[in-house]
Amino acid sequence: MIELQNVGKNYGPIQALNDVSFSIKKGEIVGFVGPNGAGKSTAMKIITTYTMPSSGSVSVGGYDVVDNPLEVRRIIGYLPETAPLYADMLVYEYLQFVGRARHLNGNFRKQYDWVVEAAGLGSVLKRKIGELSKGFKQRTCLAQALIHDPDVLILDEPTSGLDPLQIIGIRKLVKDLAHEKTIILSTHILSEAAAISDRILMIHNGSIVADGKFEDLVKQVSDRNSIYVSAKLTKKEFESAVKSIDGIKNIIYDEALPRGVVGAHLVSDPKTDLTASVNEIIRKQKWDILSFAREQLSLEDAFIRLTQGGSQPEGGVK
Amino acid sequence: MNDMKIIFKREFEAYFYSPIAYVFSVIFIFLNTGLYMFHFFFFGNADMRAFFSSLPLVLGMIFIPAISMRLWSEEKKLGTVELLLTLPIKTVHIVLGKYLASLAFYLVALAGTLTIPIVLLFLGKPDIGPIFGGYFGSILLGAFFLAIGIFISAFFSDQIISLIITSLVCGFFVLIGWQYVPMVVDGWIPGLGSLLYNYVGVTRHFNDIERGVIDIRSIIYFLSFTTLFLYLNTKVLERRNY
Repeated sequence: MIELQNVGKNYGPIQALNDVSFSIKKGEIVGFVGPNGAGKSTAMKIITTYTMPSSGSVSVGGYDVVDNPLEVRRIIGYLPETAPLYADMLVYEYLQFVGRARHLNGNFRKQYDWVVEAAGLGSVLKRKIGELSKGFKQRTCLAQALIHDPDVLILDEPTSGLDPLQIIGIRKLVKDLAHEKTIILSTHILSEAAAISDRILMIHNGSIVADGKFEDLVKQVSDRNSIYVSAKLTKKEFESAVKSIDGIKNIIYDEALPRGVVGAHLVSDPKTDLTASVNEIIRKQKWDILSFAREQLSLEDAFIRLTQGGSQPEGGVK
Repeated sequence: MNDMKIIFKREFEAYFYSPIAYVFSVIFIFLNTGLYMFHFFFFGNADMRAFFSSLPLVLGMIFIPAISMRLWSEEKKLGTVELLLTLPIKTVHIVLGKYLASLAFYLVALAGTLTIPIVLLFLGKPDIGPIFGGYFGSILLGAFFLAIGIFISAFFSDQIISLIITSLVCGFFVLIGWQYVPMVVDGWIPGLGSLLYNYVGVTRHFNDIERGVIDIRSIIYFLSFTTLFLYLNTKVLERRNY
């Protein structure tokens, strides 16, 4: 459905995208993640035909974005990062304008009713857009992107600035739409990308640094196992006890604990599992345990690893 | 055609959402009729020469830039330009829709000055030819300056910058058509001043039409410059280089 081949984009001397290639199949939900300024929005602007790529080729639904922009625009619904709203218009006027401009003549009414319902705009239709809350503004924008029932949805940070309930609402809407549409959404909330999308594309400094399912990405970058233990005892006692365990590569103490309590991440290489041996010590020494957990690499850690070229995040494993 | 109408409608209505439009129309009408009335009572002529002779400068340096500044600058500032330029509508139709909306707004304001000829008709026997010519010239002049304005506003997201640059460019077109400005330019680079005066300056063409001399060359001048700037505006946007 969406194909990018060796796409580059320069803004003067700044290289926003550098030799980016990927393809997205029909029906996929893909999350673009990456730090601010990584090139997520630029990639989306190129796909939606707003910006011309400097090099490479991009096609959406078989149409080239440079040669056939109008055809591409017809099948895309786009929610830009800066909500494109006319503050002086009423909500329904705005949707009418977009509907007309998108040539929904006969079935405008049907689409309009559906989109108002789906985006939950029923109560604000006659309000001025400029007076709406951030959440309603974002939903009005989403309605704008959906009104022509597009095959492809491009959502640039659809949940930024919303409260948790609204975020859940938008996520649910995206999930509901998912089975029939190809969706790209960008976010810097990594758990969100993991929750909504089938596939994650991590972009950093204008290049794709990772592409795949969330679980695979985590596996790809995890280079250690880790266990977190905290107990009521002194650091010395703890140290001498864990010394006897084989396979510990590193111990990172948790400094933010009150006196008399010790907490530490016990790190081993990915093949070694420390759970049994640590458990044995705990039982033998009758430690007063406060917490004991196996730690999984989070998406945040994976993200930091990938975007910082494999260097360790500060403070080690969480 | 239908696409153009959709864009036109939104754009034209947008002029009336904001108080700026009303403020400027009122200022335009008062300034022009006010300036004129002074002359009218002082000399007691039942014609509109004074009105039309001050028009190019007032239009080019104040009124038209104020109408045109928002056309693209506001869209850029609000981010709505991303919506507009990803609609399945040809860029040229969006440009024309917006342009025609600004022209329509200008015509509404210009119609507000029709009180002057109506009063003249009651008070005396004015020569209808020059008045008709004057309004015809004012429409062409406004159309030309608005094309400059929409073109310039596509470069800036700040409306005030668009206003100032448009004002300077329109001012250039007016002043280079005044006799003494080209003379000064000729003093620097011989020949350039007269060249600009003959082919670029707007004042001479406007004055001809306003006197009732409707020369085909003047019409071609206005139409070709208007088309040129609208064409350039479309091309700049079609480069999609943001």
